Amino acid sequence: MGFNLDRRQFLMGTTALAAAAAISPAMAQDKRMRLTWWGGQARADRTNAVSDLYAKAHPGIAFDTEFNAFNDYWPKLGTQVAGGNAPDVLQMDYRYLVEYANRGAILALDDYVGKGLKLDDFDQDQQDGGKVDGKLYAISLGANSVAMMVNTQAFGDAGVDAPTRDWTYDDYKAKAEAFNAKSNGMKLLADGSGSEPALENWLRQRGKALYTADGKAGWDAADLTEWFKLWADLRAANVCVSAEDQALDATAAIDTTMITIGKAATTFANSNQLIGFQAVNKAPLTMVNFPRATAGGAGGHYRKPSQFWSINPKSTMIDEAVAYVSFFVNDLGAGAALGVERGIPCSKAVRDAIAPTLDAQSQIALNFVSGLGDLQGKLPPVPPAAAGEVSTQLNTKAQEVAFGTSSPEDAGAAFAKEAADILARAK
Amino acid sequence: MTTEAPRLTIVTGGDTASRVARKRVMSVIAHVLLIGASILMLYPLLWMLSASFRPESEIFTSNSLIPTSVSLHGYISGWFGLTRTFDLFFLNSFIVSILCVIGNLAACSLTAFAFARLEFFGKNFWFALMLGTLMLPYQVVLIPQYVLFLKLGWVNSFLPLVVPKYLAVDAFFIFLMVQFFRGIPRELDEAAMMDGCSPWRIYRKIMLPLSLPVMTTAGIFTFIFTWDDFFAPLIYLNDLKTYTVTLALRTFVDSTAESNWGGLFAMSILSLLPIFVLFLFFQRLLIEGIATTGMKR
Amino acid sequence: MTARSLGADAAPSGRAVVPSVWSRLWSANGPGYLFLIPWFIGFFGLTVGPIITSLYLSFTDFDLLTPANWVGADNYIRMFTADPKFFQSMRVTLLFVLFSVPLKLAFALAVALLLNRGMRGLPIYRAIFYLPSLLGASVAIAVLWRTLFAGDGVINDFLAVFGIQGPSWISNPRYSLWTLIILAVWQFGSPMIIFLAGLRQVPVDLYEAASLDGASKWRIFWKVTLPLLTPVVFFNAIIQTIEGFKSFTPAFIISGGTGNPVNSTLFYTLYLYQEAFAFFRMGYASALAWVLLAIVAIFTSISFLTSRFWVHYDD
Repeated sequence: MGFNLDRRQFLMGTTALAAAAAISPAMAQDKRMRLTWWGGQARADRTNAVSDLYAKAHPGIAFDTEFNAFNDYWPKLGTQVAGGNAPDVLQMDYRYLVEYANRGAILALDDYVGKGLKLDDFDQDQQDGGKVDGKLYAISLGANSVAMMVNTQAFGDAGVDAPTRDWTYDDYKAKAEAFNAKSNGMKLLADGSGSEPALENWLRQRGKALYTADGKAGWDAADLTEWFKLWADLRAANVCVSAEDQALDATAAIDTTMITIGKAATTFANSNQLIGFQAVNKAPLTMVNFPRATAGGAGGHYRKPSQFWSINPKSTMIDEAVAYVSFFVNDLGAGAALGVERGIPCSKAVRDAIAPTLDAQSQIALNFVSGLGDLQGKLPPVPPAAAGEVSTQLNTKAQEVAFGTSSPEDAGAAFAKEAADILARAK
Repeated sequence: MTTEAPRLTIVTGGDTASRVARKRVMSVIAHVLLIGASILMLYPLLWMLSASFRPESEIFTSNSLIPTSVSLHGYISGWFGLTRTFDLFFLNSFIVSILCVIGNLAACSLTAFAFARLEFFGKNFWFALMLGTLMLPYQVVLIPQYVLFLKLGWVNSFLPLVVPKYLAVDAFFIFLMVQFFRGIPRELDEAAMMDGCSPWRIYRKIMLPLSLPVMTTAGIFTFIFTWDDFFAPLIYLNDLKTYTVTLALRTFVDSTAESNWGGLFAMSILSLLPIFVLFLFFQRLLIEGIATTGMKR
Repeated sequence: MTARSLGADAAPSGRAVVPSVWSRLWSANGPGYLFLIPWFIGFFGLTVGPIITSLYLSFTDFDLLTPANWVGADNYIRMFTADPKFFQSMRVTLLFVLFSVPLKLAFALAVALLLNRGMRGLPIYRAIFYLPSLLGASVAIAVLWRTLFAGDGVINDFLAVFGIQGPSWISNPRYSLWTLIILAVWQFGSPMIIFLAGLRQVPVDLYEAASLDGASKWRIFWKVTLPLLTPVVFFNAIIQTIEGFKSFTPAFIISGGTGNPVNSTLFYTLYLYQEAFAFFRMGYASALAWVLLAIVAIFTSISFLTSRFWVHYDD
């Protein structure tokens, strides 16, 4: 790798293409660590600040960083891994963790814990979230939880109290008429029938799970039929947005969610996204938990690792990479630079240190995740390899019901079979 | 060319006065049609222009073209929003695009000349293979190609984007040029051949000068396609310093996190400017083809 | 001049009075192959390797992250026996090609003819009509198309003037593909420019001769312009068909890569991309690619076979 890098930089430096002024050749004596993650410039600024702190404390290490939008990140990382040219430290997602771990594309870190990797006051559930088959493959960069974004102004204007942590789906339904009377077409809820997190939350409240520990579906056709019926009912009662409106939001991207385009007063999202949502919403937003399935229904939420660092097993500087990751999650200066942009820090010391310094929106996120109380259940097993494909299929099936081309019963049964097929094929 | 239409009417014209009147009406109708269509075509640009001056919280909710308040925030946060300022990305895009134009024009015209004008064993076979390379979706050759360029040590430089153009890998342009070369009267090069001209001289002295329209077209297209391309830069460029404009634009927005939409629209507008101006300027050459040089057969 | 040595005329002038077999072979084939040298280097150096690799991968279970295992024809068998998404994506793509290609070509030709007349302000019109094509795959298009074709979008605002309440075109599975066809047609700039360049190659004296004969403009178009334009029409038709089959970007940016609503915009290459990069089945994706290649190759071959009946070359 070292040779490759040098040669590459040599090429970069010598090609006439490399606009001499623009590209300064790297200092030869530095060891260069490659980092990659997805996110926008806001995340890059925070991450680079940590790298600068690290480089200052560890002379001789310099960084080459790459960052891309989420959709661009995965094809590029896949290509790099396939070519044997993956970065030393790479950001990992809960969804892809099993794929990468099972295929040996990321390094098991157990041997480094307590040596280069300090996890003394690291939340246990966040450590477990990075484990596949009992081995630690990824270090959580922050905890978050699913949460509903709430347009407080819309509720105020309609004269309806904003949702509280006790609201059930039925409560939303009960308030819909009063809300719709003054909302000028805006609905209370986005249509969550195709949203995997919404389904998971609802299943967990009923004592089921999305996936079992051995990677099978933790529900059956009857559960899904009931789920689709719940939403068909909410749709018919004008509690949630129409099928056509919901389909405008293909990927739950912040800019297409029902709250951002003004179709609904709430939307299903994650607790670390409040800042991102607020940036493109005029009305003041806050957060509340997903609706309860029944009054007092508990345990739907959990503290989910939002993003991880993982290490490339083919890296030539694994020790340094481990040290960097350890610094990233433990150092107080790093914690201050990162804030809660990726989620609530998992080290208690960091959390305590930064809590007083946070801005209002970050405070809301911090308080939400730490105040889940009875809403919080235990961490589910890491989703199986084909979870992404199942989730895609859920969205398609939910749309079939919403557009009336399939009944809840048919869709529930069909989806159960499709999910089983997809999971079996991925084994 | 502008003189051609009147010439036609004068030659064929009998009742001149009514013809002129009718022509005027036709011309007005044509303009009305064109202006109407232009608005349709321009709407997106106007919308983007308006979005680029808008506060981010308004971009996704308003259909109106007129922003309620105008701010330059998008332009400032866009230009200075990434670790490097946008002038570097423009420079990179220019370097890559211009190098690609030169490569494509030189390599594709040589290849096209062989296919259009020379006879050799296996010509149809090679031509079919060449066209075949157009038909395979690039997504599946991406990884083998990446491995190849990685072995050559070219990843994270402009080489994977530029060098292939000098080796005529763009079958689109070869095929385009073949079709146009075949439209050039054969008597011309047959006569030259009689005079003892080598194929090279025929290519240089007859084909290229008479192919200005298609060469201009190919040049403009190469520039614009390269400028707009994001997938190859995404895969092959790692370092922000080497990013092209289109790739830099894509880092403004991440669907899962805080994004810079104002910057995206503002810089999108700026990134359109060079290719729009280039097009306005070079399309002149499009109309100086055989028709206006008055070539006779 | 070095070019001499390239020429066919240089070869026989050597010592042999009776040209040998080799020199005759050379003079018949040499120049062609010499001109093809750059292409050969590119083809054999850069293109063939990856293409053959992808053919090989189509018979494996390659998952990007680990080495590939040979699975025989499994991928191809699955495609035709157990994959409804394969047929759905093929259907969507065929519909897209069937409608977008002819419409786009018709638009491009009509506008090119209109813009080929002597008129004031031509450069401006040309540039404006090319503008949508300049936007390429910009993220902005996704947002723009939503503002136009959503339920409360600009199109429906316009229809409301006539008392028509339109659906949300872009997100209703019945119409969503049409919004992508419109997007493709709207970006008709490239074939338009190629038509314009083609029109510029029609020699003026032909027009003069035809108009001297008193032919109407309509007749001149059919008898002079169009026949001379057929090589370019042929080119545009072939290219647009190939590009249509391979079309990826519009659906990718507008449906966020999902092909929804209800897989109504699941283009073939979009499905292929999902398989390759979202679901880690590069082997299967490669098989999909080769089936597409076979289909496109059949279309193209038929076009070439029929071309001798309607494409007029000047040689």
